[in-house]
Amino acid sequence: MRKHNALLDAIDTFLRTPSTVTASGSHIRDCVDMKRIMITVMIALCPALFFGMWNVGYQHFIAIGAPTALWSCFWYGFLKWLPLVVVTYASGLLVEVLFAQWRGHEVAEGFFVTGFLIPMIMPPDVPLWIVAVATAFAVLFGKEVFGGTGFNFLNPALLARAFVFFAYPSVISGDKVWISGADAVTGATPLAMVMNGHPEAMPSTWELFVGTIPGCIGETCKIAILLGAAILLFTQVADWRIMLSVLVGGYATAFLCHVSGLCPVPGYQQLLMGGFLFGAVFMATDPVTAAHTREGKYVFGLLVGILAILIRLLNKGYPEGMMLAILLMNIFAPLIDYCVVQAHIRRREKRLSQPKTAAR
Amino acid sequence: MKLDGMAELRTLDFPDALSYYIRPSDFRWLTPRLLVAENDMVEVGTPLFADKQDERVVIVSPVKGCVRQIVRGEKRAIRAIVIESETEAATGRSVDVQMPSNSQEIRTLMLQYGLWPMLLQRPFSVIPNPDSQPKAVFISCFDSAPLAPDYNCLMEGKETFFYKGLEIIRMISGDVPVHLCMRAGADNSLFEQCEDIQLHYFQGPHPAGNVGTQIHYTDPIRKGESIWYIDPQDVAIIGRFFAERMLSFEKMYALTGPVATTTGYFTAICGANLSNLFKQDWGREELRFISGNVLTGEKMVDFPTVRFYDRQVTVIREGGRREWLGWLLPGLKKWSFSHTFLSWLTPNRSYPHNTSLHGGRRAFMMTDVYDKVFPFDILPLPLLKACYIKDIEQMEALGIYEVDDEDFALCEVVCPSKMECQQIVRDALFELYKNV
Repeated sequence: MRKHNALLDAIDTFLRTPSTVTASGSHIRDCVDMKRIMITVMIALCPALFFGMWNVGYQHFIAIGAPTALWSCFWYGFLKWLPLVVVTYASGLLVEVLFAQWRGHEVAEGFFVTGFLIPMIMPPDVPLWIVAVATAFAVLFGKEVFGGTGFNFLNPALLARAFVFFAYPSVISGDKVWISGADAVTGATPLAMVMNGHPEAMPSTWELFVGTIPGCIGETCKIAILLGAAILLFTQVADWRIMLSVLVGGYATAFLCHVSGLCPVPGYQQLLMGGFLFGAVFMATDPVTAAHTREGKYVFGLLVGILAILIRLLNKGYPEGMMLAILLMNIFAPLIDYCVVQAHIRRREKRLSQPKTAAR
Repeated sequence: MKLDGMAELRTLDFPDALSYYIRPSDFRWLTPRLLVAENDMVEVGTPLFADKQDERVVIVSPVKGCVRQIVRGEKRAIRAIVIESETEAATGRSVDVQMPSNSQEIRTLMLQYGLWPMLLQRPFSVIPNPDSQPKAVFISCFDSAPLAPDYNCLMEGKETFFYKGLEIIRMISGDVPVHLCMRAGADNSLFEQCEDIQLHYFQGPHPAGNVGTQIHYTDPIRKGESIWYIDPQDVAIIGRFFAERMLSFEKMYALTGPVATTTGYFTAICGANLSNLFKQDWGREELRFISGNVLTGEKMVDFPTVRFYDRQVTVIREGGRREWLGWLLPGLKKWSFSHTFLSWLTPNRSYPHNTSLHGGRRAFMMTDVYDKVFPFDILPLPLLKACYIKDIEQMEALGIYEVDDEDFALCEVVCPSKMECQQIVRDALFELYKNV
């Protein structure tokens, strides 16, 4: 038998669909495979990515007071994004391939999305070596030690960001990191401004919605994110239950906080701020790390939404609550599933022990 | 799932087969004890092998002829008994038996003449123990799988035998209800004339015709209970035996498939070598001949014959053609239950299905796909995981006794991780079966 070569195999099946045919079971299979699902997610991310590239340049030129031509903004952002994505893929795929070779399985596609997401949730000026270390950490300890894609319980992209957040807080928090090349100018995310007691510095709802505000590449343009959400929902790659319940949970909490005077920002604006929508659409819906049962998904989503807003409001040290809320709920997702399955078992027992009902 | 090549309503001319294959593997988990030797002469109804666990259960020869060869495989396991038929004459044999009067006598006769194995038992889909008592009998009178044959065609001319057979089934099963499950809105006049029978109507796509689905919605199986089920054609064979004292294993089958130039129905004796039938012009493509349907059938490897419980032959293209960047293309011509290919915009077109796996094996990842094609009040993913790790307690709690591998066929089809769901469930059921 040919020696297993994870790297060659990965490149081979990347270029051409595999030649395997069904051996047992159903003779005909669905054309969809994990590669197709992952590429669909990446396509859904593209609108947010393209806008994000432009926005990085736009914010930069505004900060230094230069004219903001469409192409130069985009090109500037592209040049900021390119090294990030190259480093992310290089570092993450290295770990993936080594593990696949060691364990003797195929390289899973999961990292394509993870590696695509990581640059979109990092500050544009983050040092590349930090990205490399964070990615390697996330893939290694978030995924591979548990058995690889499909067995991880934490979202690897968020884990990478959390790693940077806690290990190198200076590069990801504070006022200045979200505008590229603008050390001298004070610019802060709306979230940070409001929490620092400057509600008047809050951008308008329209700006929040369109996304011409500082922030990481992926999160600012809500139109692009909604476009991505539409793609994910139409293709049924992401579960609408999670998206909906995150939004419901988040809005309800934000609304209550606003009404009770805890927060000056109205509920709908909370949903448009920061990475809330991006997290709801692309992060919380990760099928592996979210709850697996249908009922569990509602609970999971609601709690993510509630926690995200609560962390934002109650802990000024971490204005970005979405990341922590999703990671926290990732940890609780198996527990939610366990409860749902146990409830299902009890309900089944009850139904079976009842006298037979009328036939359908 | 749309597939070309539905069997046309015409009769195919099937020349008499000269050889017949009887295979122990058609009967799930049956360990055969051989009762004939090579070059023995056999009649219709001569026992060929018995079940080692219960030697009253025998599989008999469907034809008169000579045992030409006993094909053995690994560890000398019997793969097939090849019988060469002597003449083209009789498709059955008249037997001289007294009409039995009670359940026990009928059971004995059915066992003796090889009719008992036509009954199957859920859970496990095995031949029921001759002393057992089911809580109900189910007969599914339609098949909802792709390219499934029409039962009105299969049963044509067998009505009276079918009614007689039902009478026999009612007698041997005691006082339990017999359920006939039919497709709502279809022409069911043949089945509706039965007496003392509970009629049920099902609608919706596959697996509405699976007996497992029907049992689940009508009379779910709890631990320790069992249900018998049987194919209507086999009911007619049993009926004919008791009505006319004629033992004949002749059945109607359908030849289907997108690459078959002539599709239709043909009559053959169970186990017949179908190579004559396959002498059509198939073109130059590599093909796969399947006994059964594309979901649960078995690829014909060395023996061109239909399995004991199948009623259909499906011919499809072999896949395996590699495609450049296939995961990236729009995929207008790719069939998928998911909406990830643009083909979902044209739901009514039919696709050039082949046997490609379309991807590599992965861990369970997409968590909602199974629920969409699994109509049971059972959580498919947790059950599959319990089956995978053979956690018997959890399997029982999640309802393993209600399902069979065929119920997971659609899960397997749509699974983007290319899990062998049917194999996982079958292995788990075997683990349970050993323990019961």
